[in-house]
Amino acid sequence: MKPWNQRLAPYLFIAPNMLIFGVFIIYPAINGFVVSGYDSNNGRTFRPVGVDNYGNLFGDAEFWTAARASVIFVLAFVVLCTAGAAGLALLLTQPIRARGFFRAVFFLPVLLSPVVVGLLWGWILERRAGALNSMLGADIPWLIDGRLALAVTVFVGVWTHVGFYTLIMMAGLQGIDGSYYEAARLDGASAWQRFRFVTLPLLRPTTLVVVILSLIAGFQAFDFIYTLTGGGPLGATTLMVQYVYEHAFRSPIRYGLAAAGSVVLFVTIFALTMLNFLYARRREAV
Amino acid sequence: MRFNRKMIVGAALLLAACAPGTNDSGTNSSAQNHLTYLYFTDGPDEQVTRALIKDFEQETGATVELQIIPFSELSQQLQGRIASNNAPDVFRTDTLTGYRDALLDLKANGQDIGAQFMDEARDYISGPGGSLLAVPSDLTMNGPFVNLDMFAKAGVTPPSQPWTWDELIANARKVQQANGTAFALAYDKSGHRFSGMLNQFGTNLFGANGVELDAAKASAAIRQFAELHQQGLMSKDFWLESGTKYKGAIDIFLAGDAPVCVSGNWQVSQFTKVAKFRWAAMPNPCAERCGGYPGGKFMAATKQSANPQLAAKFVAFMNSRAAQEKYAKEAQFLPTRKDLIASGVQYPNRAEDMATFLADVKRTDKAGFASTYSPGFSPTATTVVKELAAVIAGQESPDQAVTNIRAAAEKNLR
Repeated sequence: MKPWNQRLAPYLFIAPNMLIFGVFIIYPAINGFVVSGYDSNNGRTFRPVGVDNYGNLFGDAEFWTAARASVIFVLAFVVLCTAGAAGLALLLTQPIRARGFFRAVFFLPVLLSPVVVGLLWGWILERRAGALNSMLGADIPWLIDGRLALAVTVFVGVWTHVGFYTLIMMAGLQGIDGSYYEAARLDGASAWQRFRFVTLPLLRPTTLVVVILSLIAGFQAFDFIYTLTGGGPLGATTLMVQYVYEHAFRSPIRYGLAAAGSVVLFVTIFALTMLNFLYARRREAV
Repeated sequence: MRFNRKMIVGAALLLAACAPGTNDSGTNSSAQNHLTYLYFTDGPDEQVTRALIKDFEQETGATVELQIIPFSELSQQLQGRIASNNAPDVFRTDTLTGYRDALLDLKANGQDIGAQFMDEARDYISGPGGSLLAVPSDLTMNGPFVNLDMFAKAGVTPPSQPWTWDELIANARKVQQANGTAFALAYDKSGHRFSGMLNQFGTNLFGANGVELDAAKASAAIRQFAELHQQGLMSKDFWLESGTKYKGAIDIFLAGDAPVCVSGNWQVSQFTKVAKFRWAAMPNPCAERCGGYPGGKFMAATKQSANPQLAAKFVAFMNSRAAQEKYAKEAQFLPTRKDLIASGVQYPNRAEDMATFLADVKRTDKAGFASTYSPGFSPTATTVVKELAAVIAGQESPDQAVTNIRAAAEKNLR
């Protein structure tokens, strides 16, 4: 048996991180769950209300509008990010000229502050004097029509994040042993067949990571949308996180309702992530 | 993983430890003879506030630390600080709702000064047993501004006496056409500002006896407001909360995109500095009633103050006749003290514009004061903005909007 100090060492190494994780993640998460059983309009005086907040949440039309917008946003965001990242990764791993430059171009938005991204696209898409409408000589209500605004929000989200997922996909592609392609070529596989039967299956673990990360990022999307549309027009781009934020910090303040909303959001993300894992594990077993 | 008794007890203890609630009945850590003053600034008031603080420090030998934060963070910071026994000694606020239980009774701490301020605010600033929880530190009045250069070009003279809403719209349209501006009118996206229009149409969100929204009158006001957008006289984009570079109606006005802008007297100082054209305040238009809509800020001290008497003294000093006169003059604010309202304030700049707002204070129906000082007003104003946007977008009728606003008002008052 190892001496006590050697047994203790690993725990001491992870202690600082666990402490920060506990104080800033675990405790607020548990606290949020507890607060969802109370009602408070000032954050100081709390009245226990049982599960009333959940009842009020599910009976609130604005919640369902935000939930619907979130589902549409997340579905489109995950599909476009994953497909876009895979496509870009395939292109950017080809021996093309100025490859480094193109990689930088697609990665650059990742480095921008989400607030800047929102403001930037807000100026570009503004109806009367925005750069895009001025260029097109059109009067397209990009951010005034609810459906268009949601579509624009998805586009801006994908534009901002796709560079990061492309990086992950590229790492996945470069991790595929070249001998598989060589063997496929020797067997007479076409370029499409090599992609379909070699690249795609071997890229599945990486794709799963991208799907899960983009799923979580999609549900957590807030900052760039808040500066781009403010959740408007008429709540068309108000997603769940903004719904929670507005009930927690905007008059009339409803901390309990906001906490219930964040618990529902947590359960949804957790359930979808688990489903992804289970699906992937099942595919591996097959 | 199996759950055993220890784990269940541990989880229960953890949840119990996380049960919300705070012990906010202690005192803050202010040193003796030292005060903290939590403040948000409208701009021109900061310098004069600092000067007044210096005067107080010289007079009393105390020290005052001015802590300036953005208005948008006031509620969050203040509640957090009260919850953690770290409340400022004194603070400036636009509402007492949500803080009343944490406020110091100024009267019990040697400052029985409530009667010096306008009677309309008396009920709002009073607490249980006749206690005095705050004083109104400045009064605001909604009202329109006009671009004089554009009016001159169109050959329209701004009125010295109130126009009707129809006259305002017709003349604004004429000026718009003569100058080729994008819009005729700009109107702050605010439930408070729209309450001015409600008041002019003869109704208010709240009265002395609770919710007093008259459905027919409110519906008429909302219909008129929506029509202005549908006719392109006002910016639909701005009110639909999305896709516009403008952050406030004054930006539309200052950019020269509209010859008339409905905002309030707190803009006078800013316009003086930044407007690139000649401008003036104009009396509020009349419908069933004339006048605008009041608002304002309050100054209060907290129970957690380690120096409660000094805190109350500071509130009294900052709102004494001399201090408030200086504050109003330099920041272009309206007074709340009865003696100053009676004598008037001689503003060194833009005195005529301030006189226009003061005249509108006198024209404003008293019910407007009861409404703006109602504890349900602030949250309901948020609903008003949402409902107006829905009507402007054609998603609901004015009648439906009134029903929804009324329901929200009743809920917020409970």
